[in-house]
Amino acid sequence: MSKEMEFDANEEKLKTLRVSSLDEEEDDNEAQVDEIDDPDLSTDEDEEGEVHPVTLGFVEKLKNKWSLLRHYFPSKAGGTPAWLDPINLPSEKSSLCDFCSEPLQFLLQVYGPLTEESTFHHESTFHRALFVFMCPSMACLLRDQHEQWKRHPEKPCRSVKVFRCQLPQTNSFYSGKPPSEDGTEQPLTAGAKLCNWCGTWKGDKVCSSCRKARYCSGKHQAAHWRSGHRLACTRLQTSLEMSESAASNSLWPQYEITIEDECEFENEMSDSEYSNILVSGNRVDESVRSLMDDFAGDDDKRSWASFQERISRAPEQVLRYCRSAKAKALWPVHSGRPSRSDIPACNYCGGTRCFEFQVLPQLLYYFGVQNDVDSLDWATIVVYTCEASCKGDEGYKEEFAWVQLVSQSAP
Amino acid sequence: MAERGAGDRGGFGRGFGGRGRGGDRGGRGRGGRRGRRDNEEKDWVPVTKLGRLVRDGKIKSIEQIYLHSLPIKEYQIIDILIGPSLKDEVMKIMPVQKQTRAGQRTRFKAFVVVGDGNGHVGLGVKCSKEVATAIRGSIILAKLSIIPVRRGYWGNKIGKPHTVPCKVTGKCGSVTVRMVPAPRGAGIVAARVPKKVLQFAGIEDVFTSSRGSTKTLGNFVKATFDCLLKTYGFLTPDFWRETRFSKSPFQEYTDLLAKPTAKVVHVVEDAEAA
Repeated sequence: MSKEMEFDANEEKLKTLRVSSLDEEEDDNEAQVDEIDDPDLSTDEDEEGEVHPVTLGFVEKLKNKWSLLRHYFPSKAGGTPAWLDPINLPSEKSSLCDFCSEPLQFLLQVYGPLTEESTFHHESTFHRALFVFMCPSMACLLRDQHEQWKRHPEKPCRSVKVFRCQLPQTNSFYSGKPPSEDGTEQPLTAGAKLCNWCGTWKGDKVCSSCRKARYCSGKHQAAHWRSGHRLACTRLQTSLEMSESAASNSLWPQYEITIEDECEFENEMSDSEYSNILVSGNRVDESVRSLMDDFAGDDDKRSWASFQERISRAPEQVLRYCRSAKAKALWPVHSGRPSRSDIPACNYCGGTRCFEFQVLPQLLYYFGVQNDVDSLDWATIVVYTCEASCKGDEGYKEEFAWVQLVSQSAP
Repeated sequence: MAERGAGDRGGFGRGFGGRGRGGDRGGRGRGGRRGRRDNEEKDWVPVTKLGRLVRDGKIKSIEQIYLHSLPIKEYQIIDILIGPSLKDEVMKIMPVQKQTRAGQRTRFKAFVVVGDGNGHVGLGVKCSKEVATAIRGSIILAKLSIIPVRRGYWGNKIGKPHTVPCKVTGKCGSVTVRMVPAPRGAGIVAARVPKKVLQFAGIEDVFTSSRGSTKTLGNFVKATFDCLLKTYGFLTPDFWRETRFSKSPFQEYTDLLAKPTAKVVHVVEDAEAA
């Protein structure tokens, strides 16, 4: 009998040992495993913080008139695109939204040349720019959501399109030297004539009466006619003047995109609290995980919490750039993410596509997009480009964009 | 801002990926950002559509958001709408430990209740390595979880509502909390923990009864919170009248609009991309 009592006493001791650890919410198995379980919890988080440095883009008002012209190789958002290759612009078919057949509107462009650090650097990627266009209609974006999930469609129908263009250092459009920083630089050749209304696409069609105004499509010609060309048309036949800027008033406001590294902001956030700022990316795991504990259970909430945490270091960012095969985007919402096989291979060389950059919804705020029922709203637009940045013949090659919308249902 | 002339880097050293680590354009206007940690509300750039609407001032009261059950994902929304009158209080800081190979790892769990004393309460729980971080984080979470609290009368409908409209009960874990309407002047008859929550909610008189292991403060507080959540979920005769649906900022409910309109309205369908 006494042995049993002893046994019981030992058991009691063991039980009390457990209780005194004050553990309430932690799982039992967590107590046994050591710190290795951190990656388990953060498998769906990006590890890119410590491995791949992310570059952030911020929008700023234009400082001087010349810095957004194409021969200065800008990165800009809104307004009209500064085409890198001014002659071989995308075809008319690719410039239309595949759902409503309206010409797409310019969202932003990113100047991202490949340098010696990248494995796919070669002479033709000396100048490299990516242009993002989207249809401003939310109805088309909702239909586009269905289309982007289709794998190998015969005829891809998208309302968000990305074009890539690259040029070698010696080319027929720009001099081989860096442009001077005082606004006096001029491009070697004039570009193709652009549409008078949108200032974006090639203006092949002319106004039949004055033969001076050029348009990319009938819709823009009609819009320009209604909004003032009807009166100016007869005058133009005699005079030679033609305004340079686009006539449309529905273009998004123009900004310049300035560049900062994300690690600079990490140091700022941690200096007041944590003594070691050497650990830049790892710090995230701790608070993200505890945030996740409280948004427990719901994947969407957890992704949102970690998304908010990440962008809170620099809340005004609109672009996240990290060109690397293993880089992963920062997804605000858990649902609606593509898997490896959802991202198609490059149309031109057949190679894989990798993540390059993503656009964040702060841009909608800066564009002053209306917040009506049917106005544009997205959680993020992620752009995947050919990993090898293939050369090809055409001026502009299409790349793949993935749009993630905010789900409207209450969590 | 020296451009590297000889041995040109790709893209003349500009653009994304074309910069050296120093960054020639990095100093442009961003340097001032470093020292400016205050004025966070002014610097808030909304990420969600609701955030943009609130920032623009199109939404005047938080009731409009509650009416359409829109998820609030940014705490700055609450700050703008009812921020000035919001008070917060830390209920408890609890150290929790985890066993590791190298000893124990202690983190601090903070329970924070926020409320404006006029029908809105929120509860936030956050665990973090440092107390200050935990408290800050839990205040944010509390703001995100703010709920409206319905108040009613015990007897005569004179003056402002002062108590719960009916008997409600909430449960979390083993703790159940029951709230019973009380006459004016009774005060909050409750334990110290739920009394705090009810004070923040703006309830002046109530009788409570609890059961279960109320020693676990986390569950006790969550049970009271759950109880308050149910006050608006209870169908009383005032709600018998048919609801007149109004347009949410996000969607149009065409077939549910009370007044039949002559013209055809199209339905905007939200396609889930899951």
